[in-house]
Amino acid sequence: MKRRSFLKGTLATSATAVAVNAGLLMPTTVLADWNSKAFSSKTTDDALSNVFGSSSVTESSDIKLKAPAIAENGAVTPITVDATAINGVESIAILGSKNPMPLVCEYTFAPAALGFVSTRIKLGQTMNVVAIVKADGKLLKAEQEVKVTIGGCGG
Amino acid sequence: MSIKIRMRGKSKAGIAEVKALIKHPMESGLRMDKKTGKPYPAKFIETVEVAVNGTKAVDAQWSGAVSANPYVSVKIKANSGDEVSISVVDNTGAKGSSKLKLK
Repeated sequence: MKRRSFLKGTLATSATAVAVNAGLLMPTTVLADWNSKAFSSKTTDDALSNVFGSSSVTESSDIKLKAPAIAENGAVTPITVDATAINGVESIAILGSKNPMPLVCEYTFAPAALGFVSTRIKLGQTMNVVAIVKADGKLLKAEQEVKVTIGGCGG
Repeated sequence: MSIKIRMRGKSKAGIAEVKALIKHPMESGLRMDKKTGKPYPAKFIETVEVAVNGTKAVDAQWSGAVSANPYVSVKIKANSGDEVSISVVDNTGAKGSSKLKLK
């Protein structure tokens, strides 16, 4: 009897495990689940294709990326991405091109939200901060270099 | 222990800017403890959700590369009197939430 219930138990758990795996294999359908694949990607392109399913982006001057030219402390770099000039913004991702894992954060917007995000991120060294805006199925990009002077006297 | 969130928001002509300060170490799991040579265990907020009157408006996913004690600001379509709420969950399952009525 014990053995039977044990077997039943293992079957049930393996079935749920399969279901979970199937769910994780569809990256765009589940928003609530944390996208571990995208966040562990080592390059900007990999991260983008894991988030948006594509890494082909076009530069856009409609995205206002506000970042300091020189950040004295890379651990607290204020970044503002303003894409309110673009219609139909679905999501905004912020990446640091030379961070060990470039993808910093990703925001998905419902119709009740405007394409605007302001936050503070960590940068390990001098690098380009990339903002990707997804609007009407297209990927738009804005980029700015931030010089990081860790332990310096303000550069 | 729940995560503490302080938030502020004001609506102007139907658009509200909601700002939040979250108290959290945001440990990425990559920083080394110099004494032991082992990394500090990862502890960072994974998901952030902003809702207006119970309807989801912004859904964010964060990595450990968001600064400690994160500040976040978003703009949403909401009028004064609307209730805005923010809820966060970190990688260890700790949760926090906060809400306010827009001015």
